[in-house]
Amino acid sequence: MNKRKINWYKLNRSLHRDIGYFCIGLVIIFAVSGIAVNHKDDWNPNYRVEQAIAPISTQNWSLDNDEKLISQLLVTSQIDEKVKASYWASPTQFKVFFKNGDNLLLNLKDQQIIYEKITPRHVFQAFNRLHLNETKASWIIFSDAFAALLIFLALSGLFMIKGKHSPWGMRSLWVISGIALPAVYIFL
Amino acid sequence: MNFCKILILMIATIGLPSAAAEQFGKPVDNTNRLKISTIMAAPDNYLDQPITIEGTVVGVCAKRGCWMTIASDKRFENLQIKVNDGDMVFPMTAKGSKAIATGKLNKIQLNLDRTKALLAHRAQQAGNEFDENTVTEPMAIYQLVPTGVEILE
Repeated sequence: MNKRKINWYKLNRSLHRDIGYFCIGLVIIFAVSGIAVNHKDDWNPNYRVEQAIAPISTQNWSLDNDEKLISQLLVTSQIDEKVKASYWASPTQFKVFFKNGDNLLLNLKDQQIIYEKITPRHVFQAFNRLHLNETKASWIIFSDAFAALLIFLALSGLFMIKGKHSPWGMRSLWVISGIALPAVYIFL
Repeated sequence: MNFCKILILMIATIGLPSAAAEQFGKPVDNTNRLKISTIMAAPDNYLDQPITIEGTVVGVCAKRGCWMTIASDKRFENLQIKVNDGDMVFPMTAKGSKAIATGKLNKIQLNLDRTKALLAHRAQQAGNEFDENTVTEPMAIYQLVPTGVEILE
């Protein structure tokens, strides 16, 4: 009985193709989140925070009664939001937190009201949650498996093409460059 | 057909939690809650034991969600909860919500320069005048390093 020979070249190409298709979504999630996390100091990827500052005229604020003070602030600022909590940050700064996530600061010293609107960036938040492993332990196992698949894609890529375009001839310069560039950053 | 079954099984296994989860880390210890004002009156007495605090969230790290400021029961006083980046990520929308946190109090001893810089920053935030020549002694700051945090509605 003839033993059927495995065509390793063909098998490698098929696996590289299908695993590549499977990894498309994950690569995009990790890449987009990676860019966002890299630039955290310049840009907040999780929330859009907008501030509106309004000067206020001197008036008799009910500083000894928080509930009355909140009512005054809501009327003055023409805000119709449900209040979650309030807090005196200092003798001249009173904060009101709203149920929609926004907040308002009464600054008595500078005579101004600062309204802070917080809008979550849901897509980036979800990507970052996955990238930073803020989810269940099962996701860590899954992302470890994904890392193994990426290693497979990298190595199997070396055996995808035969002939003059293979990475074993002149094209090896691309492979060497990809290894050398990170090495330069480490040793510089 | 087999491929579809495998895909469904994988998605079911991942089991990502909903974004509305408000429990971070281990469960909090609700049996022995202390007032923040009690702790801050003599913080060195609470360094070597797990403690649980409760209060309104009045500040959250906007970019990394790595700290929250909890208002004390005493006016103008608060305590910061601090985690390493990524250990827990507190949502900005927690501002104004009640939070319970269990953990250990961490003392950070500042030198004189850092003390002046911190006090200058605090004065600026509060809109007060600050003269650094009035600061002659270094100070220590205290943060709660939590093992578990629960944010209530």
